[in-house]
Amino acid sequence: MFLRLVADSFTRRPRRKILSMAALAMGMAVATAALSVSLEIGDRLATEFRSLGANLLVTPQADSLPLEIGGVDYRPANAGAYLPESDLGKLKTIFWRHNIMGFAPMMEVPVQAWSSASRGLSTPTVSGKAMLIGTWSQHSVSVPDGATYVTGIEKTNPWWHVEGNWFAENSDECVMGTELAKLWKVRVGDTVNVHASDETGWRVLKVTGILSTGGTEDNAVVAPLSIAQQLAGKPGQYRRLYISALTKPEDAFARKDPNTMTPVEYDKWYCSPYVSSIALQVSEVLRGTDVRVIRRVAEGEGNVLLRVRTLLWLVTIAALLAAALAVGASAAASVIERRTEIGLMKALGANSGLVGVLLAAEQLLLAFVGGGIGYALGIILARVLGERIFGFTPEPKLFVLLIILGLAAAVTLLGSAFPLRQASRYDPAPILRGE
Amino acid sequence: MMPISSMFWRIERRLLTANYGRLFVILLALGAGAAVSSALMNLQIDAKKRLTTEFRALGANVIVTPKPSNNAAPTLDQAVLSQLPREYEGRPVPAVGFLYVIGEVGKVGDSHLQPAVIAGSLGHGLMQVRPGRRTEYLANLESGPDACEVGAKAAAQLRVHAGDALQLHNQDQAASCKVFAVVSTGGPEDAQIFTNLKTAQSLAGLDGRLSLIQLSVAASPDSVKSFISSLEQHLPDASVSGIKQLAEAESRIYARITGLLTATVVLVLILTSLCVMAGMTNVAAERKNDVGLMKAIGGSVRRVVRLFLTEAILLGVGAGLVGSALGIAISIWLGKAVFGVAAEPRWIVYPVSVTLTVLVSIASAYPLRRLANIRPASVFRGEE
Repeated sequence: MFLRLVADSFTRRPRRKILSMAALAMGMAVATAALSVSLEIGDRLATEFRSLGANLLVTPQADSLPLEIGGVDYRPANAGAYLPESDLGKLKTIFWRHNIMGFAPMMEVPVQAWSSASRGLSTPTVSGKAMLIGTWSQHSVSVPDGATYVTGIEKTNPWWHVEGNWFAENSDECVMGTELAKLWKVRVGDTVNVHASDETGWRVLKVTGILSTGGTEDNAVVAPLSIAQQLAGKPGQYRRLYISALTKPEDAFARKDPNTMTPVEYDKWYCSPYVSSIALQVSEVLRGTDVRVIRRVAEGEGNVLLRVRTLLWLVTIAALLAAALAVGASAAASVIERRTEIGLMKALGANSGLVGVLLAAEQLLLAFVGGGIGYALGIILARVLGERIFGFTPEPKLFVLLIILGLAAAVTLLGSAFPLRQASRYDPAPILRGE
Repeated sequence: MMPISSMFWRIERRLLTANYGRLFVILLALGAGAAVSSALMNLQIDAKKRLTTEFRALGANVIVTPKPSNNAAPTLDQAVLSQLPREYEGRPVPAVGFLYVIGEVGKVGDSHLQPAVIAGSLGHGLMQVRPGRRTEYLANLESGPDACEVGAKAAAQLRVHAGDALQLHNQDQAASCKVFAVVSTGGPEDAQIFTNLKTAQSLAGLDGRLSLIQLSVAASPDSVKSFISSLEQHLPDASVSGIKQLAEAESRIYARITGLLTATVVLVLILTSLCVMAGMTNVAAERKNDVGLMKAIGGSVRRVVRLFLTEAILLGVGAGLVGSALGIAISIWLGKAVFGVAAEPRWIVYPVSVTLTVLVSIASAYPLRRLANIRPASVFRGEE
């Protein structure tokens, strides 16, 4: 009889039940989507923030002061120390190797240049001065464990845009800064002749793209590192290395001096992806270097990341709260509507407990079915939102389903508890009289 | 238009107060929706402003440089510095002009000089434009005409500390300065020596000239763009550009946050609407008899519909007014939780949120539409 009553209430008036179920399912869908997105976004959000570019800078330890203005080092090629390019594969062997998102070595050579495309500088005797920056565009680095890793300047300086194509590695190609290209009237496909010193002679480079960075590089020629090395007469060497690493925002613990830590603390620090511990690990594999944290990027990024992450959780909680309230309210409404039915049951001899259990069973059934549908809908919603807003698809998690079903049950029961208690106190007579 | 009689309002009042439990539930659902959506909308506006401030910790985002020319090292007229706006959107704009000289530097008394970048600076807000940590600082020396600040790497290389004196040379020019601070930024500034602009100008032999000006404009990426284009028109001899590294990261993050919050607000409103609709279906079923009676005694369909529409609007306005106010109050506190600074209430959010709630409430009264088609006779016969 009990089961029949419950089943009847679902089959007799489907329209009402469908709407409360829809409200419940929608609420739980929102909750599912919010939970799945925020559970998976943690690491991806940090990846997103790497668009600020490199956060570690590696320079030779025994070096003269760099004469760097606006990202370009004006030291002549024979001044200062250099680092060996062949060591760079070791970067992918450190403890946090998977957090190294990219790296690019750099070397500047002041050059004289002329181009047949440019009327003012059309012969070697009339040439312009420019800075040639050698770096990697898409370089495959061989890692000591046998693998290769492809990286380059696009990973460390994602705001560098090239109209046309990046130069190919190990070829006589280059990209030209947009201001310089405008000044020299050089277009994609033209050639430019560069000359650094009499020993290395002239090189003819094909312009494959126009680079815009919003910085000093707009007035420079960017070419493969190998060309800069040849022009400078420093084969296999570089001057500066930019590393973009995925890090954990620094907290009070990360700011402690590693030298004063206890061994346990030190291990914990070493095995956390703080920017300072990654810097130490990098300096362990690249001997004779000075690894510095680019403070403004690292700190600015950490702060913003922390804020956005809190904001995300807050939105999740707000969505959960709204869903809970909405579901609770519709559960309450559905009990309030059934005063007459409750009155009749009581008149026929049902006690308050039985009425409560009956209605609670009904609500629970509703919660599980609605919660299940809501979960399925929520997974779709999470995919759409994840793709649209953050560019990734969250995977469905069983454990989210459990939370959602639990939440649905708790919220519907809570929502119905108050009206149910009132209902159990009803005196059947006035209700049946319609008062 | 029929006159709205006192009878109309009497019926309206009865309709609303017929079932307090249900009234409470509908108001709760609508109010919660209004509160969450207004809180999120307010937070969305505030988040932009707060993150803008947060991003300013990254330093200058606008840079004024000389127009490119075939001249090896073009420079700007120092007068440009005084033509820059002091304020933008009610916030001060720190602006510092720099002149870079590659000279030779050493501690006074040292015979060995090293080449280094000497950056002469003039303007207000050097610490905002070039954020860093001063590891050594002697405030009493700062205001002197020959005060200078040394980057951490340069200080280590030259073995100088705050209070020491430096000698600066460039070709046949020479000057000296007193170190008042050592600054660590992690950037190329760590290898530079910051002097007064006059010192650098006399070393370079470029009186009244600047290499560039850096500004830190605290505004959203779009409004920084319009700042740049208006400044560009104002300064025909210079080129003004944004630092792309920051602008791109910022707008990307804003897009994500805006998308996330807007999606949540839309979802919450749909949710609210569904819940209220569920309640309204019950209302419709219950009122069949009332409507049948109204029609039987001559009430037009229009009038009946108007009655229910008014009810929906009243519910929406009531819940919206209270809920949105509550939501804004909550967002002030939320702002404190997220950004450490209480969110500023934006009054535009209030009317928008109330209007949205009313719209949701009207949309949720959709089930009542069935009442318009009721035929009195069949209702009284108990057929429907």
